[in-house]
Amino acid sequence: EVPILISEDTVISQPAKILNFLRKQKYNADYELSAKQGADTLAYIALLEEKLLPALLHTFWVEAENYCSVTKPWFASRFPFPLSLYLPGRMSREALNRILLTRGGPPLYSLTEVEAQIYRDAKECLNLLSKRLGTSQFFFGNTPSTLDAFVFGFLAPLYKVCFPRVQLQEHLKQLSNLCRFCDDILSFYFRLGVSGHSPAGQDSVDANLQKLTQLVNKESNLIEKMDDNLRKSPQHPPRKLTTLKLAAGGEGSSPPSRLSP
Amino acid sequence: AALCFQAFLQMCNLPVRVVCRANAEYMSPSGKMPFIHVGNQVVSELGPIVQFVKAKGHSLSDGLDEVQKAEMKAYMELVNNMLLTAELYLQWCDDVTVEEITHPRYGSPYPWPLNRILSYQKQWEIRRKMKAIGWAGKSLEQVLEDVDQCCQALSQRLGTQPYFFNKHPTELDALVFGHLFTILTTQLTSDELCEKVKNYSNLIAFCRRIEQQYFEGHDKEGSSSAPSRAAKKSLLR
Repeated sequence: EVPILISEDTVISQPAKILNFLRKQKYNADYELSAKQGADTLAYIALLEEKLLPALLHTFWVEAENYCSVTKPWFASRFPFPLSLYLPGRMSREALNRILLTRGGPPLYSLTEVEAQIYRDAKECLNLLSKRLGTSQFFFGNTPSTLDAFVFGFLAPLYKVCFPRVQLQEHLKQLSNLCRFCDDILSFYFRLGVSGHSPAGQDSVDANLQKLTQLVNKESNLIEKMDDNLRKSPQHPPRKLTTLKLAAGGEGSSPPSRLSP
Repeated sequence: AALCFQAFLQMCNLPVRVVCRANAEYMSPSGKMPFIHVGNQVVSELGPIVQFVKAKGHSLSDGLDEVQKAEMKAYMELVNNMLLTAELYLQWCDDVTVEEITHPRYGSPYPWPLNRILSYQKQWEIRRKMKAIGWAGKSLEQVLEDVDQCCQALSQRLGTQPYFFNKHPTELDALVFGHLFTILTTQLTSDELCEKVKNYSNLIAFCRRIEQQYFEGHDKEGSSSAPSRAAKKSLLR
């Protein structure tokens, strides 16, 4: 099961449990949010799951050209034989199953109609996110929070992976503030070493993208439990972005240009 | 769910007559309830109904700016994602509730053995969906915790305002009212779900306000809505 967090002797799976564990270790990205902002976080995460996730699952796992030329070989290369022959197919079937069970049914009678509807919903969701983000750096001002991580986790694979069928990707690329949002987070939090290219460099980039994709495809409950008791106790405040800006200024070629199609 | 759209139509000042039918699910174009029948058109589910009413010139959310509209849609998804799924879970995946309440209620318009067959079929359908979205592995405590989290978010968002977007109700208010009122007034095997909502006094006040403003005087029609209502109790318990 992925994603998995391994901390010393502890192994934790499922995004919700991982977030809980991190909070118990006093790492909380939402420390400075107000109660209303915390509530907004839950609401927007629900929006992502309901409106954007079906189309993402479709783009990665159901759209035949995308699945056969990108997703399947990519995942198969990461699984050991013989799982590589079986698991991608199973994940594809589960994705289609989920789409049909949650969004199929009358008055949509064919797969084509369901597909049209989920892509319409996804484009509307992207538009809503773009309007909400506006010109801010992050969704709640100048410091990133859990919502930013979730949105990034959904958007970045869609933004960066080179697909043959690019309907939704094209729509995302028109929303410049969302693209800038992804690029910022990629360059500040996912940058490679100062020396630039390393033999393991491309591998770790692939591994990061794969982890992001797996987060998107996770079918379990992605909504984190807000623990009131933890929020009241002393916490480490999130890293301020300003210090990282100074560090990033001296770098050479930025990672996003290596990743872009 | 019938209550959500009834509240919405009352808020738009549109006259509505509620009628109960055993075959309502089959009459609906999407198989889901509620649906409205206007002239020779039939529209089901809250989203399309809101669009339909908007096309006829009535809208509750025109006064909102783009960011507020985004927020409203996000909160509506939160209600659908958490509250509605929790209600379905309780009705169809909690064995005690299924045996004592749901099966008898769902099969009541039909003779034996059709009543059992249809309700098992529905149960199988709902459980399949729960499995696909990852709720099948949840325990009742986890589901109740999710409901609590959702109510906490709604309560924090509502704050001390009369409605979610201050002075005027929107479709979000109708949706939240419909779900909360149903939870508060439907009799289940235990009071746990109801108690979760009752922890939030501003949500109770919100429901009471909407009930008084839009349903007082329409009580007779209100109490005949949806055959799914097992027993109606006053909110003033």
